[in-house]
Amino acid sequence: MTLPSTSLPARPALEIAVVRVFWRREMLRYLRDRSQVFGAFSRTILWLVILGFGLGASFRDIEGYTYAQYILPGVVTLNILFAALQVAISLVWDREVGILREVLVSPAPVFSVALGKLLGGATIAVLQGTVPLLFAPLIGVSLTPASLLLAWLVMALMGLAVTGFGVFLASRMATFEGFGSISNGVIQPLYFLSGSIFPLKGIIGGVGFLEIPDHIRDELNRLGINAIGGGWVVQLPWWLQTLVYLNPITYFLDVLRGVTLHFQQLPPALSLAVVAILPVFTTALATYSMVRMRRR
Amino acid sequence: MSVPAVLECHDLGCRYGETVAVEGLELSVGQGELFALLGPNGAGKSTSLHMFTTMTRPTSGSAKVAGFDVATQAAQVRACIGVVFQEPALDERLTASENLEIHAVLYGLGAAQTRQAIAQALEWSDLAGVAKRPLRTFSGGMKRRLELARSLMHTPKLLFLDEPTLGLDPQGRIHLWERVQGLRNGGLTVFMTTHYLQEAEACDRVGIMDRGKLIALDTPAALKQQVLGSERGSLEEVFIQLTGRQLRDEEAKPRDRMLSFAKRGGEYTK
Repeated sequence: MTLPSTSLPARPALEIAVVRVFWRREMLRYLRDRSQVFGAFSRTILWLVILGFGLGASFRDIEGYTYAQYILPGVVTLNILFAALQVAISLVWDREVGILREVLVSPAPVFSVALGKLLGGATIAVLQGTVPLLFAPLIGVSLTPASLLLAWLVMALMGLAVTGFGVFLASRMATFEGFGSISNGVIQPLYFLSGSIFPLKGIIGGVGFLEIPDHIRDELNRLGINAIGGGWVVQLPWWLQTLVYLNPITYFLDVLRGVTLHFQQLPPALSLAVVAILPVFTTALATYSMVRMRRR
Repeated sequence: MSVPAVLECHDLGCRYGETVAVEGLELSVGQGELFALLGPNGAGKSTSLHMFTTMTRPTSGSAKVAGFDVATQAAQVRACIGVVFQEPALDERLTASENLEIHAVLYGLGAAQTRQAIAQALEWSDLAGVAKRPLRTFSGGMKRRLELARSLMHTPKLLFLDEPTLGLDPQGRIHLWERVQGLRNGGLTVFMTTHYLQEAEACDRVGIMDRGKLIALDTPAALKQQVLGSERGSLEEVFIQLTGRQLRDEEAKPRDRMLSFAKRGGEYTK
């Protein structure tokens, strides 16, 4: 004799309450972990202030931008990479010794749980990426409200893309014994090969530029002349260029540099296409990987 | 048996490639029963539990939980079971009430119902005073109590407990065990795996698995009678008689490796 089966109303895959509670969970985890915010400030000070001014002293201009200005979007990107991948990789913990098993045996749709996590990753990426932007006035970059809003939009899309990629990565990791391999094996290559700290090609301001007073230089920049006499035209070796072009982060960074500094190195249409399409693709990939975890 | 079966399986099996984890499992657990599945490491207890809780898909046979097929009606099965895992399935950076709230949302409880269920769970687990503290400050016993209370929030028909008292000190173990027995007395069906044979003594029936097969299934008293020839003696003697003295060493699984990593110093990503 068996208990009579009663049918239950089927639950939709998208449940806003589930999305919200898992988004909130990521936010609470972030807000209670001061080491992440500390990391955002320490990376900004090391890269933007120390490296920016340090290298900037011997290497005056890149296409008319000081070195610190040039790497500002790069440092934002670095913070986004760290923030998004930390949210994503915690999935390995969740799955092996944390709350994901509670999700898998519950009747809730995993798709909504995944979406909450991805949106949490994107939100934290925007918050962490905003830290270097606070230093913009210090390095002579003025952001209008419009350019800040556009920057946040690009940052959110980058955060979504990286969290999605990280969730896919985490779903294929059997174990997690330290963030070091992620930091050295994923974050740093993506960062260094994105045009964040050196340009693909460009005119590096040289000798003659030093003597030009600031107001004349500003005038020349306005006319679209970013470097004059004595600059060096630099170009990366072909293999390095290939790697940079293959790195999707390059295109996000290019758009971000466009909205913060009005300077882009790549065809704008190509960059915009990557920024618009990639987050959709990684969101699909990440939610699929998480939904598949239900039955191993 | 006249009581309806809450869990039933026929010829249930699961294999991973060449490895046979569970084979030909025939089992029926009646409503209100406290059932314990015993067995040495690697006997197939966890795989069986995973099949019943819809975590692993059976590769042969069938199983029904609360009348629903675990393979084809997984969503319905999930809605009417409660599960407490061996290792806490909690978010340790969140507070007790935040963890309970997540559970309420996962099971689709309404706002008023959620508030009531959280208050009840906190009271039942004696954790109301520490509801606002992050779980990383909780002891193993407190977390287990919280998880047990959480698994009852959606009033399941069948509760699965995977080694519920593992790693607890004797006080914590006695305390938790009393609660489990209290649930049984309240009419809830409880299916558990355990290594503590004293606990199994107090169950209505026990099943003993070894090498993927169920090799004994009866009341503790009947098993003693069959295997030892008398009702005196302990289940431990029965267990050793049936499964032998050979050690069953297992390789550390990813979960064990991560836990030992966490104990060595851990990482903020947890």
